[in-house]
Amino acid sequence: MEAKPPLRDRIMRRLRAAKEIYEGVYIAPYRSTIHREYLRQHDAFMLLGFSDLLGVPNPIQFYMLESYPALIDEFHEWHVRMGMEHPPEGGFRCC
Amino acid sequence: MARADGDGAPAGGRFPLLLTASIDRPILFFGGKGGVGKTTMATRAALELADAGHKTLLVSTDPAHSTSDILQCDLGPKPRPVVADCWAMEIDPEQEADDYIAAVKERIREAAPPRLLTEVERQVDIARVSPGAVEAALFDRFTRILEEEGAEYDRIVFDTAPTGQTLRLLSLPELMTAWMSGLIKRRQKVGALAKMWRNVAGSETDDREHEDPILNALEERRGRFHRARQILIDSDRTGFVFVVIPERLPIWETETAVAALAKHDVPVAAVIVNQILPKAEAGEGTEGFLAGRRERESTYLARIRENLGDWPLLGVRLQESDPVGVDALRRIRAEVLGGTE
Repeated sequence: MEAKPPLRDRIMRRLRAAKEIYEGVYIAPYRSTIHREYLRQHDAFMLLGFSDLLGVPNPIQFYMLESYPALIDEFHEWHVRMGMEHPPEGGFRCC
Repeated sequence: MARADGDGAPAGGRFPLLLTASIDRPILFFGGKGGVGKTTMATRAALELADAGHKTLLVSTDPAHSTSDILQCDLGPKPRPVVADCWAMEIDPEQEADDYIAAVKERIREAAPPRLLTEVERQVDIARVSPGAVEAALFDRFTRILEEEGAEYDRIVFDTAPTGQTLRLLSLPELMTAWMSGLIKRRQKVGALAKMWRNVAGSETDDREHEDPILNALEERRGRFHRARQILIDSDRTGFVFVVIPERLPIWETETAVAALAKHDVPVAAVIVNQILPKAEAGEGTEGFLAGRRERESTYLARIRENLGDWPLLGVRLQESDPVGVDALRRIRAEVLGGTE
């Protein structure tokens, strides 16, 4: 017969399990909802900022220039997410 | 001499009024169809205001350098003194766009990751030749002048480009502020959601590390557009003066333009009817070319009174010679044609 692990360890293991169940049941869906909403808002933002690439005139295209360094990585995530393997013509050649 | 018969008192001459006697505001725009005498009237107005002791800046956005030409001095993108209390500058829209691009590249070099630098610069170069770039750069400069030079000078007189372009420039703040607001709102939500996500993901990073340079840049710009718009629609501070000549197309265009400005809440200060024919001389008769022109002119003047009479109407007679140089410009006078005072 195996020696039981010390009581402290057993309690800690159960607490960890409880925490994982809690995260799996409650936090994970919550987290993915937040993430989906984040992506949705980010898409809308990129659309307003780069609408000219899709043929929609963008009155502030010229004023987005100074934000380009900060936006180039987000631009890559965006076009991949939009189902475009390569960046749209006229946009950053980020990959 | 210019000051002697100011204040609108008929001083006995045929053209007793100063242009600005009834339309003096800190910021005046002169606009109208090409060739109607915008530059002449704007320059005359700036000289009047300076002669009255106001520190005045004349700003021309006309790439044709006509202000340099009629003032007979070499003007540039920085204010230069013309006469006492009068400074003038000419903005070259193409040059503004180049300068703006240069400034953006400078900032990019500090901020962009080296591996992406070439790509970002290529993108900026593409934007430089895109439609709207020159307009946007001009607008950027314009909002700066309203704020910076506006604080430094008592009066600013803008000699604007022909009507279409000017209307666009004056309507931009509204359009851009709205677009910017949409963008900023999204960006704020993106930021808030990213923060929530970090919280539930148990991320240890400090929120200050996630300060958003894009949001800051957008908000700064929106602030400037908004302030420009507040200045433009304030009838105590700003007035738009239309210059028109008693001919068919300029009148038609001005009627449309006045309506467009009203739509964007930009106050119209007055309409100046330029190049009115001199009165018939004794013995000239009622036949012939000039008599025919006069008759047509009177129908056009009637139309102007009817359709543009909601604003003060000033008339300026056709000059015998080109009003070139400060002395000739100072001789220009107006007369009241009617309209609302």
